[in-house]
Amino acid sequence: MTDTTVPDAGPTGRPLGRRVLPYAMLSPAVLVTLAIVFFPMLQTAWMSLHDYVLFRPHRFEFLGLDNYRKALADEVFWISLRHTAIWIGITVPAQLLLGLATALLLNQDFPWRPLARALIIIPWALPSVVIALMWVWIYDSNYGLMNDFLLRLGLIEQAMPWLARPDTALGAIILTLTWQGFPFFAVMILAGLQSIPRSYYEAAAIDGASAWRQFWHITLPGISSVLVTAVLLRMIWVANSFDVIFVMTGGGPGYSTYTLPLYAFIKARTNLDFGYGSALAVLFTLLLMGVVLIYLRRTGKAVSR
Amino acid sequence: MKILRKLAVAASALTLMASLAHADSTVRFWYHFDNADNPMDALVAEFEAQNPGIKVQAENIPWNSYYDNLYTAIVGGNAPDAAMVKMFAQPRLVEMGALEPIGAQIDAWDGKDRLEDNLLDLTRAADGNTYYLPVQYVVLYLYYRQDMLDELGLQVPATCDEFRSVAKALTRDTDGDGRPDVYGFGFRGGKGGHDHWASFVLGREGVDLQQGLTSEAGIAGSQYVVDLFREDGIFPPSAPNDGFQEILGAFKAGKTAMTIHHIGSANGLVEVLGDKVSAAPVPECGGGRWTAFGDESTAILSSASDKEAAWKWISFLSSPVNNARFNEATGQLPVVRSDAERWSLHPRRFVKATVDSLPHAHLLPNVSQTSDFVNTVWPVNMQRALTGEISAKEMNEKIAELYAN
Repeated sequence: MTDTTVPDAGPTGRPLGRRVLPYAMLSPAVLVTLAIVFFPMLQTAWMSLHDYVLFRPHRFEFLGLDNYRKALADEVFWISLRHTAIWIGITVPAQLLLGLATALLLNQDFPWRPLARALIIIPWALPSVVIALMWVWIYDSNYGLMNDFLLRLGLIEQAMPWLARPDTALGAIILTLTWQGFPFFAVMILAGLQSIPRSYYEAAAIDGASAWRQFWHITLPGISSVLVTAVLLRMIWVANSFDVIFVMTGGGPGYSTYTLPLYAFIKARTNLDFGYGSALAVLFTLLLMGVVLIYLRRTGKAVSR
Repeated sequence: MKILRKLAVAASALTLMASLAHADSTVRFWYHFDNADNPMDALVAEFEAQNPGIKVQAENIPWNSYYDNLYTAIVGGNAPDAAMVKMFAQPRLVEMGALEPIGAQIDAWDGKDRLEDNLLDLTRAADGNTYYLPVQYVVLYLYYRQDMLDELGLQVPATCDEFRSVAKALTRDTDGDGRPDVYGFGFRGGKGGHDHWASFVLGREGVDLQQGLTSEAGIAGSQYVVDLFREDGIFPPSAPNDGFQEILGAFKAGKTAMTIHHIGSANGLVEVLGDKVSAAPVPECGGGRWTAFGDESTAILSSASDKEAAWKWISFLSSPVNNARFNEATGQLPVVRSDAERWSLHPRRFVKATVDSLPHAHLLPNVSQTSDFVNTVWPVNMQRALTGEISAKEMNEKIAELYAN
């Protein structure tokens, strides 16, 4: 405060303090991220090259790419990868469609609209473990609501153990996650919808455009950027989320609800094979990197615009 | 100045507190009780009153992730000083160098002769050292609905063949809608259910987990279990995923007529079913009987800061009266002979079934692979066999493969 001299001006003409300031302000966040995100990531990559079983802490042998070779030859790796693809491929579009429909409904004028908007967020706001336990009871073959409902409607002959059958378990969990995640889309899309000026619709109505054409030519282009961002973000989250699966079936019956992150978790945490578990995690990260790169390029563009 | 003085007072208070804390030593103890309302606080208070200078910090860790937490805490350098432990975890803990040998303390301890016979032999490690001090035990047996057997004029099954026909008869449609409402047997296909499978398989001649599993007799055992489900429909359809809560819930609700568990659930069952529930040893299968010995001990971790204090605490839990109180919370049986003789917590018929089962009780192999067998290899392959994805032979081969490594 007592310093009254003019700070040095750098080549760009801005004072040095001004040029350093952004870095100084960002550095705590960057340091924390380096310490709690990048360091463990490097450690994972390092462990994946070793034979590291937690209950043999003194045997930490360098294996090179052996863990990766083992993974690619592992039947369970491919089963999990297939389930991960199904898991993302169905959950995200289903959430998107349900979210879009909800957002369009909530964008209409009706009494109690603010209340409806608040209620719709509930599934998104609940902890995953609560949701998982709730749905385990819904699917229960003795007392579950789902079976009772379908039996009364006459859609099924006898109560189904939804989570205990390999052909229905994954679908049942996908339905659960769809229910949990659609409010995210609804809220994002609703925000997008409200940024479209009313005058566009009025002009289109004067020109005689049908409701469908208005949706196709005004609404959809208006929310497209929100949609793409939301889909990319959600793909990353859904791909990584295994808490719901872990609580509902633990991966079972057999391997029928194993996804790659779950497999990596079970290998590392339950079997204590951190070397192999890390290799699985790294492989999955590489696969997911494609989606992350597209997302980063989009946000990069949005910021520089 | 005022502020300075306040700071000085606070600082001296802190130093005083720190020096006081130093005089005490704290024993961090991990245990797992299903019921949150347990006597641990009372036991701790009593121990602390008897041993001034020792504080016990007892933490109830959820059972489902108990060992995951224990192993990671050990590797992460944050292990408790003492913990409740089971035999299947011993090889790994020994391999990690995480356990403190306590043989000398036990030999010098006046409570040693008061323990039930054989328990210290059963819990001795493969390297000849003693790391475990037994604190409770159970033996698995068959629970059955006496009223349902009486109604159909059936006897308690003593062999696998009888078991199959009795279970078939008990699987009934009672409300006339063409679907069974009562199933013969509540099978635990999820994690922890290996004891059910083992009772039908490991009693067979020449079969145990380390050899003979892929023999004709071994495969016949697994095939028998798969057939009970897939051919006879004796288990509820949800059996492949069912865990402890599900099998017990179904048995209490009258959805199943038999299941396998230990005395720990006897009082809960009597509360709901009264005299309608009784117990007997598991059936004899293929020439032999096999049932699981459910052990629970305490151990001192090698990283414990004050091992003497930790020993005082764990030996306190295995001493007369304290041991009975500990077991009143877990519903298992005390290891102290005098406590066992005065035991009145369970109806006689369940204590009798336990004692009758003791000659056939076994522990799983005391090797490192057993953890993986219990946690992943058995549940995954049993579920795949039950749902028809693999055959009984393939299931046994997977287990044999694990133990061959």
